[in-house]
Amino acid sequence: MFRLDADRPVEFCDGLRRRDFLHAGSLAALGLSLTDWFALRASGATASSDTNCILLMLIGGPSQLDTFDMKPNAPVEIRGPYKPIKTNVPGIEISENFPRTAKHADKFSLVRSMYHTAAAVHDTGHQMMQTGRLFQGGVEHPHYGCVLSKLKGPNGDVPAHVLLPRPIGNTGGNMPHGQSAGYLGKAFDPFVLNADPSDPNFRVPDMLPPDYLTALRVDRRRNWREMIDKSVGEFETSQDARLLDSTFHQAYTLMSSAKARAAFELYREPEKIREKYGMNRFGQSCLLARRLIEAGVRFVTVNMFETVFDEITWDIHGSKPFSPISCYRDLVGPMFDMAYSSLLEELSERGLLSNTMVVATGEFGRTPKINPAGGRDHWPQCWTMLMGGGPLKGGTVVGSSDEIAAAPRDHPVTPAQIAATVYKGLGIDLAVELPGAQGRPIPLVDRGVEPVQELFA
Amino acid sequence: MRLLFLCAVPLLAQKIVLLPASIELTGPEARQQMVAEAALASHQEDWTRMAEWSSSDPKTAIVDEHGLVRPAGDGEAKITARAKGISATVAVRVKDSHAPFTWSFRNHVIPVMTKMGCNQGACHGALAGKNGFKLSLRGYDPDADYDTLTRQSLGRRVSLTDPASSLIVAKPSFAIPHGGGKRFAKDSLEYRVIEEWIAAGAAPPSLGDVQIRGLEVFPTAAVLAPEAEQQLVVRAKYSDGHSEDVTRWVKFGSSNEGVATVDDWGRVKMNGSGEAAITLGYASQVLYSRLSVPFANEIDADTYRQYPRRNFIDDLAVAKWKNLHLAPSKIASDAEFLRRAYLDAIGVLPTSEDVENFLADTAADKRAKLIDRLIQRDEFVDYWSYKWSDLLLVSSRRLNSTAMWAFYDWIRESVKQNKPWDKFARDIFLTSGSTRENGALNYFVLHKDPIELSENATQAFLGQRILCARCHNHPLEKWTQTQYYQMANLFARVGVKNGTMAGENIVFAKASGDVLHPKLARPLPPAPLDGVSISLDSTEDRRIVFAKWLTSPENAMFSRTIVNRVWANFMGRGLVDPMDDLRATNPASNEELLAALCKDFIEHGYDVQRLIRTIMNSSLYQLSSEANGTNQSDNIYYSKHIIRRLNAEVILDAMSQVTGAPTAFAGFPVGTRALQLPDTQVKSDFLASFGRPARILCDAAERASDPTITQALHVINGDTLNKKLSSPEGTIALFLKLGLSDRRILEYMYLSAFSRYPTDAEQSALAAALEKARLEKGTEEARRDSHRQALEDMVWAMLTCKEFLFNH
Repeated sequence: MFRLDADRPVEFCDGLRRRDFLHAGSLAALGLSLTDWFALRASGATASSDTNCILLMLIGGPSQLDTFDMKPNAPVEIRGPYKPIKTNVPGIEISENFPRTAKHADKFSLVRSMYHTAAAVHDTGHQMMQTGRLFQGGVEHPHYGCVLSKLKGPNGDVPAHVLLPRPIGNTGGNMPHGQSAGYLGKAFDPFVLNADPSDPNFRVPDMLPPDYLTALRVDRRRNWREMIDKSVGEFETSQDARLLDSTFHQAYTLMSSAKARAAFELYREPEKIREKYGMNRFGQSCLLARRLIEAGVRFVTVNMFETVFDEITWDIHGSKPFSPISCYRDLVGPMFDMAYSSLLEELSERGLLSNTMVVATGEFGRTPKINPAGGRDHWPQCWTMLMGGGPLKGGTVVGSSDEIAAAPRDHPVTPAQIAATVYKGLGIDLAVELPGAQGRPIPLVDRGVEPVQELFA
Repeated sequence: MRLLFLCAVPLLAQKIVLLPASIELTGPEARQQMVAEAALASHQEDWTRMAEWSSSDPKTAIVDEHGLVRPAGDGEAKITARAKGISATVAVRVKDSHAPFTWSFRNHVIPVMTKMGCNQGACHGALAGKNGFKLSLRGYDPDADYDTLTRQSLGRRVSLTDPASSLIVAKPSFAIPHGGGKRFAKDSLEYRVIEEWIAAGAAPPSLGDVQIRGLEVFPTAAVLAPEAEQQLVVRAKYSDGHSEDVTRWVKFGSSNEGVATVDDWGRVKMNGSGEAAITLGYASQVLYSRLSVPFANEIDADTYRQYPRRNFIDDLAVAKWKNLHLAPSKIASDAEFLRRAYLDAIGVLPTSEDVENFLADTAADKRAKLIDRLIQRDEFVDYWSYKWSDLLLVSSRRLNSTAMWAFYDWIRESVKQNKPWDKFARDIFLTSGSTRENGALNYFVLHKDPIELSENATQAFLGQRILCARCHNHPLEKWTQTQYYQMANLFARVGVKNGTMAGENIVFAKASGDVLHPKLARPLPPAPLDGVSISLDSTEDRRIVFAKWLTSPENAMFSRTIVNRVWANFMGRGLVDPMDDLRATNPASNEELLAALCKDFIEHGYDVQRLIRTIMNSSLYQLSSEANGTNQSDNIYYSKHIIRRLNAEVILDAMSQVTGAPTAFAGFPVGTRALQLPDTQVKSDFLASFGRPARILCDAAERASDPTITQALHVINGDTLNKKLSSPEGTIALFLKLGLSDRRILEYMYLSAFSRYPTDAEQSALAAALEKARLEKGTEEARRDSHRQALEDMVWAMLTCKEFLFNH
């Protein structure tokens, strides 16, 4: 018997090796029968290449005019206070607030013609940019990562989909934010970190037993729990009760895998690397995202901010409790610049960029004209998002906006098309149908919605 | 499933019912689609398409082969449908069939454009419009739309001189290219409505237009066979008394697409067993039709006869099960009932002594007596005060400690007195003065913005989510933007100023102040959602207007909301689900039952304790959660009790109680239970990970009860449970000191954790496991430690398993 600690391998006294265990048990624990599994394999959902994805949600909605779609020739009340700079790709210019990102423009492409037509509140954009759909008729659609988790299951001992650092909180609309598994069922919800990786004492809460609990006891508890649980059958019909079993199972899997635990241990990173990403919540979350992808996590979602109230974010209305436009230069811009450029650079150096998409987007753009408070308000009619890695091209621009970045000028792109692009990039057949309520099939993307082909290499 | 309905086929229909039951066609363009509904022994069938239709007088009214009735001349006639040898007749009255007629912009053109999707969010209804042409979203602003159509774009959109060249008919009929594609054909009614309206001079909307007053749907409800289809017909009633068939311009939706789907023309297809509400939206009016397909069970009539009916809840539940072919599970055992009653009514587990006494009690009415006893307990006050504190967002996040306590103490006192629910609401909205003297007034300190106050108050007391209407009328909700700002304006004159002491505020009625409608940039006469408005210069305290309307017995939303919340507490799911979403298009799973509960509640003076007693005493509440052969998949009609995870606070308190080790909360005396905390800002990793609500939004979904990996990790490795188990003052330590046997300890633990005796098999298996874990060698101290650890591990296993964490 070994102690459960980070540096030594762990073996359980039932003799089961972790890997046997996963294959025998975890599909069922996740609600996926072997028949389903083979059906999915046959449908091609799992057969293609294993591409991963890191989705950076730039909560608040970055202003296209002050970030990646500069209009230096527009009047001052449109172009705003910042100047464009050249990038390492001739012809592509971005805001001076992102000097490091400018050195990596060959690793990502820009879609400058994003728009959506739902209400101009944060929540609707969160839904659409993470699920491809606006929630209507009581149907909550699943996040991309949850779909991936449903179709491919975990890769090794780590969860398939991890959300960092916390779910999106209140952004004013009182609506769901599209970060759950929705109709797929809670078994496919992401593993949520619920901690701040930049905290000096950061660790995943309760990942290891306390000193006074030996591995023998942890194991004995687990066996006895199963023994007691078995005698009562009526819980089998309850989805939540089945989910409870699955959460215990996953918790034990995490605990017992040194590799899985190590993925969360940021202190293993050299100080220099940590500083490069920025010693803040977003920077350290991006670094953690890289470690998780290395350990086998298929999808990592990083929320740059949790709310737009009383916090400096991309939501630059110019008045309290929101943020001023100057924060793009002073705080939010550098924060993004350091983390995003370091992420691209490191993924590339480690050979991970070729099978890891990196997607960065807000939930909408901002008004072309600066408002009386010196800020910009919500503007879903036009914004820019960044996509690269995996099968996607770098160094190109798709679509363009009009002379004041108020509307797409050519190649308008909807959130649904981004969903199709992400799924295609992940190697999922777009014709797959997912099981909705009462087994009603719901298409992965609606018929006629095409991926943005120009983004694929 | 098939078999059951095949049996029904040879049965002759007993009769055909024609819907609507009477028709009046007003004007030359009037029309009415009929529905021929056959009533069979066990269900209904739509025979509209197979029936032969005829008119007694084609010079007055004509009917086509699909059952569409149109006027020919003024007078009366009879329309007959005949199929399979039976027939039915309905009278039709025709008037003004040759009177001059023009289509109305408000009542025809806008609905046509809405149905065709012109003004939807993805097209010209977008905030920025589309290609320079912007309409109000789903036509909520006819005046602005009229202006856009006739005054902008140099008269090209509407051409009085050449109606057919008007862009608003030429583009959607694709006579010229249209980015939105072809929306209707040149020979369609839709084309004709718009073109003829233009040809007649394109009259603007005016205040004198007849106004829509309501909708009727036919049939309002039906029990159908699997795979059946059903045509729905929708009629609009207008302020001048006339009605029109508006079916083809209605926006349809299904509450449950697994049961039924509906197309654009109101044709429903039944896909599965259960009940679905087909929702209808037309010109900011909403309604639904309830269509169901029974489950594929054959149930003996004795099942329902033998079911013990204790009050009206049982009668109405049985009626629903009969319709849907569900048989109720058996009545739960005494032990199951006891545990459930404690957890639901007071949020506490019965002690081992409570369990033993109750199981030994032989009185026939011991369940009813227990219910009475529970309601009298102090923990009852703790539990319900906590619940209403969630509802009213009591928290030191935005209130200082004094104010938070004053607010909580007022709630607590109200629960203790069993204050009628209407009085509870009036205490908030009808009073003024110091927030120290009247803690309820802190509601206004929490909500200083009238918009926020209006949204949270309607959510808390009326179950209405009016947020969408802040920016536009909602397609499938009845609240308009006008109603929204009239309502918000009721709270424009709530004044809050500092009092003389710390944490004291004075709430008073200001003499002026208004909330402006953002588009009109002026205030609207204040009015409760569907109540009567008062004039803007009235000096009446606007809050009083709101409070009176809110708590009036005629305000069904008020009683439905609280009754549904209390019901959900005991039954695990609201009759309306989500429990705080009582919009008009989200009907209850048993409307008759909810209506009867509300009636009883109002008749007995909004008495919450009485409501609780009525629910708990019903056999419905006392059903087992174990499925029988018929109700495995029923999670809506309560034919078996719904299993659910306990709330965060209840789990934590139960763990404290069973282990004998209370939780320490910073700033509160030792022994304070989680359910006694007034504030959700009190730090607790356990409560946070198990889903305690933050009390920021008034939303039942703020409380999470889903099991997560984080929770599992916390109980496996975290300090909370582990420290309780090893507490030197705890139960395990005490039993060891007393020298109790393993078997006795196991029995006690089963009684206190699961509220039942262990079975012999369980007791033997667990005792054997403990025996096997004993050290054979070593010092006495080592052996004692090891035994103690084994007991801790055994109790850990009990306190993390489903039977403990779930209410069943």
